[in-house]
Amino acid sequence: MIAAKYYLLLSAAVFCIGLFGILTRRNALIFLMSIELMLNAANINLVAFSAQHGNLSGQVFSLFTMALAAAEVAVGIGIILVLYRNFDDVDVTTATTMRW
Amino acid sequence: MTDPVSAALGLGGYQPLVPALLLGVTALLVLLVDTIWPNEQSNTLLATVTIAGSLASLLVAGAQLFLSPEAATLFDGQLIVDGMSLFFTVIFTSVTALVALASHDYIAERPNQGEYYALVVLAATGMTLLASANSLVTAFVSLELASLPSYALVAYLKDNRGSAEGSLKYLLIGGLSSAVFLYGISLVYAVTGTLKLTEIATVLDAGIDGSLTGVLGIGIVMILGGVAFKTASVPFHFWAPEAYEGAPAPIAGFLSSASKAAGFVLAFRVFLTAFPTSAVAGVDWVLAFEVLALITMTLGTFAAATQEEVKRMLAYSSIAHAGYALIALGALTGAADRLLVGAGMLHLLVYGFMNTGAFLFIALAEQWGIGRRFEDFNGLAKEAPVACTAMSLFLVSLAGLPFGGGFVSKYFLLLGTVLSSSYLLAAALIVNSALSVYIYARVIKAMWIEDPVPGRTIEEYPTGLYAAVVVAAVVTVLLLPGLALFTDPAQLASNALF
Repeated sequence: MIAAKYYLLLSAAVFCIGLFGILTRRNALIFLMSIELMLNAANINLVAFSAQHGNLSGQVFSLFTMALAAAEVAVGIGIILVLYRNFDDVDVTTATTMRW
Repeated sequence: MTDPVSAALGLGGYQPLVPALLLGVTALLVLLVDTIWPNEQSNTLLATVTIAGSLASLLVAGAQLFLSPEAATLFDGQLIVDGMSLFFTVIFTSVTALVALASHDYIAERPNQGEYYALVVLAATGMTLLASANSLVTAFVSLELASLPSYALVAYLKDNRGSAEGSLKYLLIGGLSSAVFLYGISLVYAVTGTLKLTEIATVLDAGIDGSLTGVLGIGIVMILGGVAFKTASVPFHFWAPEAYEGAPAPIAGFLSSASKAAGFVLAFRVFLTAFPTSAVAGVDWVLAFEVLALITMTLGTFAAATQEEVKRMLAYSSIAHAGYALIALGALTGAADRLLVGAGMLHLLVYGFMNTGAFLFIALAEQWGIGRRFEDFNGLAKEAPVACTAMSLFLVSLAGLPFGGGFVSKYFLLLGTVLSSSYLLAAALIVNSALSVYIYARVIKAMWIEDPVPGRTIEEYPTGLYAAVVVAAVVTVLLLPGLALFTDPAQLASNALF
């Protein structure tokens, strides 16, 4: 069995890649993809430690989070569509008109 | 605890969940009505169903709170219905009813009314479940159920740039913070091997391997990040001014009152049940909350002082109030813990009415199209004395002057900080409240003292919005003497957490 710390390192790396994407990219769609990476980093932890601890609650929870991530993307795409119709762009830095 | 009604309905052991079930059924009913008559303007019917559903839920939750507040766990301990969850359900359902009443006029001329009401009630369902969450799984799922409809509701004014922008920022920061929250959960699971709050506390109490304290600490801090987003506290507060300003005003009221209270119930439940200070000696989350409370209330107050627009000022004042409520967790030193958490709950109850009312007044102003800046409210009291009286009451109550319930709840918070010797928090509470008197007085001065804006005529006085504003004002004032009614339930509920 692979030692637990390697799973932690892997998931931390995936999480940080997602965070890096959020901090550096300006495209709203890439933003959503980065959030997806961060959620899946948590899933890696949940599944790995579910096996480690010998109970199933982590694995079942990771199924829940996948469904929730899909729901979040569905709402997110809708909002990005509204953004595109209003600003003709999906760049998160163009939407700075908060004075109306 | 089975009464004849729930026995007849076959609810059996699920009777404690009736408030949440009622809200869920209401949301489906709203969608059903909208499906049966899709092309007609059934705004009144939709609003009636929504209000009836949330009031029914409010009644049941209130009755359970005052008659039989003993805790019941369901679904193998995943959910718990106790004094605290019922107390917060009362807040959520009252705010939902007020918002639905006000929305009836606000969205009368707009499309997609069925979806609007359904999303409001679904978000309220999520908040109610969040108040009952007894494991990190149910907490996360119901947090998302409360958040996802909120993102969509902020974007309701589809062809309005502010609405789209506010909703985008809300979505992005919300998505980021829910990912952070989930990662925190996964780290706590990695250390403890369980997701149930009570079991986490048991495992931590028994002591964990010293090398794991770091992982646990990062996990707890990340969970705190998720809470900070939902309560609109520093460092995840950036979305709040934009989302509140861009959203339809009733939704801004809903988010800044109910959604914020939902974040606090999550914080109380998770931190007090799963991470009691005695069990996590290596991770001082009380200090983190203390720092957050200080920064949040100061930043919110000072930012509010520099705003030119009333709605944006209220948004920042809502951040400041998150800071006040955070005192409930930041001043836990063991001396007055129960009082503090009870005071935090009371403050959120009063806040639910006074802040929702203030945003509903803004909704009224948006209906009249009088503009958003302070000057645009000049002399409004001559044309709309009732609404302006109500707004003035909300503002003095928000400032903590003794004309509304806000005074009593702030007094309890102050008492708690003094008893627990958190003098820094006490000083910050007093200074920020004093400064906020100036901020709120600007609106009152504009409405009552300045000369009216020339050429402005108010043509209609929408009944539903007026009724909602007046009800909120009456409750805010009544809570000054009436808060005594809620102190016992709040105290019992907070006692149960320690």
